[in-house]
Amino acid sequence: MIFRFAGRLLLFASAGLLVGTAAVRSAAPQDWWAPGDGRTFPAQVDYRNEQGVLRVLLANGPLDTRDHPFFAPPGANGRACVTCHQPADAMSLSVESARERWEATGGRDQLFSAYDGSNCPTLPQGERASHSLLLDHGLIRIQLPWPVTEWNGRAVEPDFTIEVVRDPYGCNSGEEYGPAAGNVSVYRRPRPVANLKYLIATGFAYDPKQGLPLPLDPVSGRPMSGNLMADGRSGTLGDQMRDAAATHLQLLAQMDAGERDRIEEFILRVYAAQQFSSAGGALDAGGAEGGPRKLADSEPGQLGSIGTPLWSEFEAWERISDAERVTLSPEALAFRQSVARGARVFRDKTFLITDSAGINAPIGFGNPVRNSCVFCHNMTMMGNDVAPGQVDLGTTTQPFADPAPHLPLFRITCTGRPHPFYGRVIHTSDPGFALTTGRCADVGKITLQSMRGLAARAPYFSNGSASDLRGVVDYYDRRYDIGYTEQEKQDLVNLMSVL
Amino acid sequence: MIRWRNLATAAAALVLPGTALAQTDDIVRFVTCPIYRDTDAGRKSGCWLADMHETGIRYDVSASPTKPDWNYAVLVEGRVSAGQDGACGGVTLDPVRTSTLEEGCTRHMLPAEGYPGRRYVLEGRFVQPMAVPREVPPPPYEPRSFYLYFEFDRDFLIYQYDDYLIDRAATWLRAAQPRRIVITGYAATDPQTISGRTLAERPQVARERAEMVAEAMRRLLPGTPVGARWESGSTPIDDADADGLPGQSQRRVEIRPEF
Repeated sequence: MIFRFAGRLLLFASAGLLVGTAAVRSAAPQDWWAPGDGRTFPAQVDYRNEQGVLRVLLANGPLDTRDHPFFAPPGANGRACVTCHQPADAMSLSVESARERWEATGGRDQLFSAYDGSNCPTLPQGERASHSLLLDHGLIRIQLPWPVTEWNGRAVEPDFTIEVVRDPYGCNSGEEYGPAAGNVSVYRRPRPVANLKYLIATGFAYDPKQGLPLPLDPVSGRPMSGNLMADGRSGTLGDQMRDAAATHLQLLAQMDAGERDRIEEFILRVYAAQQFSSAGGALDAGGAEGGPRKLADSEPGQLGSIGTPLWSEFEAWERISDAERVTLSPEALAFRQSVARGARVFRDKTFLITDSAGINAPIGFGNPVRNSCVFCHNMTMMGNDVAPGQVDLGTTTQPFADPAPHLPLFRITCTGRPHPFYGRVIHTSDPGFALTTGRCADVGKITLQSMRGLAARAPYFSNGSASDLRGVVDYYDRRYDIGYTEQEKQDLVNLMSVL
Repeated sequence: MIRWRNLATAAAALVLPGTALAQTDDIVRFVTCPIYRDTDAGRKSGCWLADMHETGIRYDVSASPTKPDWNYAVLVEGRVSAGQDGACGGVTLDPVRTSTLEEGCTRHMLPAEGYPGRRYVLEGRFVQPMAVPREVPPPPYEPRSFYLYFEFDRDFLIYQYDDYLIDRAATWLRAAQPRRIVITGYAATDPQTISGRTLAERPQVARERAEMVAEAMRRLLPGTPVGARWESGSTPIDDADADGLPGQSQRRVEIRPEF
């Protein structure tokens, strides 16, 4: 039986693998969505990746993308939102796609626009070395104002100074793009624009990490979740669009309200999740409830610890019946059992979380605190944080961060109270949330990610420091001295590969 | 299940021959370096211990709404509990507060050593999800005070304590619709000698507390004018949510509606 996936032909020996799921697109255009190509975004489209198949759903039916502001290039650099939020990459951008695009266009795609698709606009463009952060690590340059400006436009007087220790590309020490010029250049992964109803959901009115009720959107008056951007600098989809339009799209004139409304209407309809595992088969088979359909049909913002446990979508695979077993290959059976164990490990394997701002201070949980992955990845079905999720795992900050000679390094000196765990002087490649709040105590804090569609959008962590899912598990194992067994590591990897 | 050995340990801790006694309902207040006992009865089940050097008594301070940080000294304020379960290996203080101080400590962790710890149970002061409708408080809506409490010298609204108190206050205030809300921050600035240290809150923390709570009320009650003022030299008050701990009651903010 032959299924045609968008741009990638798949041959399945077993006709039963996708039974009961959905028809796959009959057309086979390229996976890459170029701005302005005028395709129709289907109600459902599947993309193959290394782990299986990602499914993208568009609730309420297909969308004609001609002249749609998410897809049409409105500015001089020819980009659109879709450039960095590709359906095949779970509406993010994988390093694999970036490389494919480089090869296909000789580096002339709009993706590699000098402003942020190169390591620094001052570098000679069109040379691979000038785009190495995007091509090797999936990183886009993010230029932020220094000193800090809050999400509401209010200037903030930081309680820290920032110096450039290492600057591989001259961007932070040059005349235009570094702290001395009123900017900071940091490098981050594009976050997925899918399953957004979960990311803007507010389960509780309080942000325990900030010790305050959630801030209100001045337009709608509704509490803002704080889960949209890596540094929390935009609290609403509208603010995020304004920020992205002015920077990544280099629009001199802002999108108007009508265009923002059309984008918001579209992105709130997009759901993306792995639908099929090349190792375990259909992810909604055998009683499991994987795939994006359940995401589209469920209520967001539910806390797993007081409701439906996280990743219980795969609970049925804990007790595969004898009748089912005979329908599965030994490999598929073992994989499904591994996924189910991985969900248990994710929820139940506790370890000591230490010296992580946003968790161990100032919230009051104590330092250390014993908990599991779901302590922070706690929203049912998504794994993002019901309470806004700016925490410091150390992925960008010494001494916990892995060596990253390809990234700039900043020396932060706290001018008020020292940081509770790093002290007065901190070395970091990305101060994270501190570039939004201006607080030394927030250095290194990054907003937790949603965990859906991981298989489609490597590498991982905000700075792409984990090249694959095993890298994610290994980082946590090192950082918190968890002591996962080899089996537990593989179970976690398998779990994450089917989300 | 509580083991016999743990019960015996708890009893011994309550009555230490030749040293000091820890009597039920005694209020203790001291500064020390905290000790984490790595008991594992599931999530958030580790024990926090604090040795009072003046008496040699080890206290179990795990019931505090804020847990200690093993890198920093801790101010302990608590009452010896009548219910000693011996779960952690110390005389249980409950109610109890721990405030993290800026004085550094050598971190120390004990193994469980047979102590079971306590399974975390969500109870007491915690906020319901937004989806849970709040019961509208009945009238009359007359001037009254709501209080929030803080760690020593901090303005941070404490999770599963202040958020509960402020949610309760906001629910009442939404129903009462006052003309204005006045926030008054207090700081316990009068020096006190505790465990050989002179402790006094910074005067400016009164303002920081008032402004923090004022911002919180603006977010919870948009459109209602909020004024903030502050006072130092705070004295104890008798309010149930301070749990009978005088030091805690001094570190407060008052929320007062005006009609």
